[in-house]
Amino acid sequence: MAHGTSLQYEPVAEIGGGAYGTVYKARDTESGQFVALKSVRVQTDQNGLPISTVREVALLKRLEQFDHPNVVRLMDVCAIQRSDQETKVTLVFEHVDQDLKTYLERAPAAGLAPGRIKDLMRQLMCGLAFLHSNRVMHRDLKPENILVTSQGQVKLADFGLARIYSCHMALTPVVVTLWYRPPEVLLQSSYATPVDIWSTGCIFAEMFRRKPLLCGESEVDQLGKIFQVIGLPPEDEWPTDVTLSRKHFPSLLPRPITDFVPEINEKGAQLLLKMLTFDPLKRISALNALEHSYFQDEEPLT
Amino acid sequence: MTRAGFCDSKPLLDLHKKADERRAPLRTWSNACGPKDRWQPVEVEESRMAPVKMEPERRWERRLSAQTSEGIIMGFNEDSLMHTAADGCVEESVFLYPHGLQGIHSLQALVPSLLRHEVETALEKLDLAWDRVFAWDMFLDMMRTQTRNSLPNADLPRHFTDSTRSVLVDWLIQVHEMMHFQEETLYLAVHLLNRSLRQIKVTTVNLQLLGMVCLFLAAKKEECLLPEVSGLCYLMDHTYTSHQLLRMERKILLGLKFDLSYCPPLHFLLLLASIARSSAKVVWMARYLLELSLLEGQCVVFLPVQLAGAALCMSRQVLQDPLTPEGEAAWCLASSVHVGSETALLRIMHILASAAGKAHNRETCATFIKFSSPETMHVSRHPGLKNTAALLGICT
Repeated sequence: MAHGTSLQYEPVAEIGGGAYGTVYKARDTESGQFVALKSVRVQTDQNGLPISTVREVALLKRLEQFDHPNVVRLMDVCAIQRSDQETKVTLVFEHVDQDLKTYLERAPAAGLAPGRIKDLMRQLMCGLAFLHSNRVMHRDLKPENILVTSQGQVKLADFGLARIYSCHMALTPVVVTLWYRPPEVLLQSSYATPVDIWSTGCIFAEMFRRKPLLCGESEVDQLGKIFQVIGLPPEDEWPTDVTLSRKHFPSLLPRPITDFVPEINEKGAQLLLKMLTFDPLKRISALNALEHSYFQDEEPLT
Repeated sequence: MTRAGFCDSKPLLDLHKKADERRAPLRTWSNACGPKDRWQPVEVEESRMAPVKMEPERRWERRLSAQTSEGIIMGFNEDSLMHTAADGCVEESVFLYPHGLQGIHSLQALVPSLLRHEVETALEKLDLAWDRVFAWDMFLDMMRTQTRNSLPNADLPRHFTDSTRSVLVDWLIQVHEMMHFQEETLYLAVHLLNRSLRQIKVTTVNLQLLGMVCLFLAAKKEECLLPEVSGLCYLMDHTYTSHQLLRMERKILLGLKFDLSYCPPLHFLLLLASIARSSAKVVWMARYLLELSLLEGQCVVFLPVQLAGAALCMSRQVLQDPLTPEGEAAWCLASSVHVGSETALLRIMHILASAAGKAHNRETCATFIKFSSPETMHVSRHPGLKNTAALLGICT
């Protein structure tokens, strides 16, 4: 591996431009397996590889040891020095052909069976609970980085990368979708693991709707769309450390969530509302969501 | 992926030892917490005490299916997570097996909720868990991941001897102290050094550089403030250029595959000491002994929790704190974490005893000096440590 990626991994195709750089599908010439190569160029100054990169990659390696079924495998890491100022770090992940976006697009006309949605959600929550209990937040959950294998196994991808890349964002023009962003991020308030729960809530709704729940065009527009669903939060829940005032938004009452997600059952709707809670401290945690009664009763998968 | 399960790599139990010795903590626990008259020493067959062959554990299955699997060190079964701290299953499980504890390798069956409660409280108090909700999970992770942190054997590559290694470690201890780094950084640095020495081809000439870069990488992982590379080169008398240092950094990262995770024995020590309600002096003494273990090449084969347990155990014996029933009960609960590794603990205590006995007149005495200060309660100068023979006596 020390000889670099080019020898062991033979690129097959470019898969997605990704917000953070090009991702390649490649063949591992040793095992014949397909892998996904994600590279990031990091600036190396007089103090070597940046702390953030060292820590994040070490964290991904540590998570890998747990072999969690709902997290994409990190198979290898390599670092090649490009010049005195630049090192290319390549992360080699297992390759899964399909993401949740395509999975939903390919779903039969009648939509996914409620039991199938429950199964996907349970796996998604298991993966998240695992990441969160290891102090990792995803920060950029969306259908594109939730992988679904042909056996219907959910695998979270691209977690933790946000932090590796964020230091080097200036290098690439980044277009990040706002649709899965929670209010605290849109308001630029402080945030933690509840951000992922919000995104998962949006994805939960999308599994029924097969189209996104909240499609804002700017931060403010996205917030407006959110309040049309959950209503404008009370004054005392509005974060104090933000510049955008609550008065900026019209006073709206929450609408029944079934107006937006008619197919959802009662318990599902309860859970969804707990995930789409404005105040991150009141939002349900991944562990608690798994205990929710929605997951207790089984429904047919097809 | 192959797992460095400790069962494959080294015997956990010395089968030549008397069965009594191996059972000691179990028995004391039972004496303290259970009804005394019920306890009957059981003749346990040798084979039964042998460690169970363990499969790589998949803890996550518990959420997908409620199946129980053989736990890693002392049989933490995952279904223990289903219990809350309040359900009184401690008594229950003891009474369920009135004929002794045959075949129970599982600590979970013995002290499920009590230990869990203590661990959660301790981790929270020590600020090692960011949220109590995750504390028990985190402890199970610590127990599990540490099995990757011991090495299969103490062999060093040719050209290197244990004494070269300890000279290097001693120097790292001095640099570490000078930099005012956290203690975790030192333990991580020495761990990275131990692994690098076995993973990377390095000449004797570059040994110091290797050690320094391990400390540098440990600092990148643990510290908020990072030393300048030029400063590190200065500390090495400019024997190496900063270019060489950075090249070594990449070499180590690749050699170790960026795997810098480590569960320092220090965390186990603080955890055990907190559960055992150890006095400040006992903790300082144990920290001293634990740091001495860094200098001993043979210690790399032991699990962090075993090193910590041995250091704490020996510290208690050296200092001979007055015994109270509460203190004994707390100690028994803490040492229940070691059920099954008593022999390893004894072996470590032997190593530590001889290290402590000669620490004051060795060339490598940075740790001795560090722990002779008033802030550390002068533990390294404690008269109880002077006599190696007597020390070895307490370990048998």
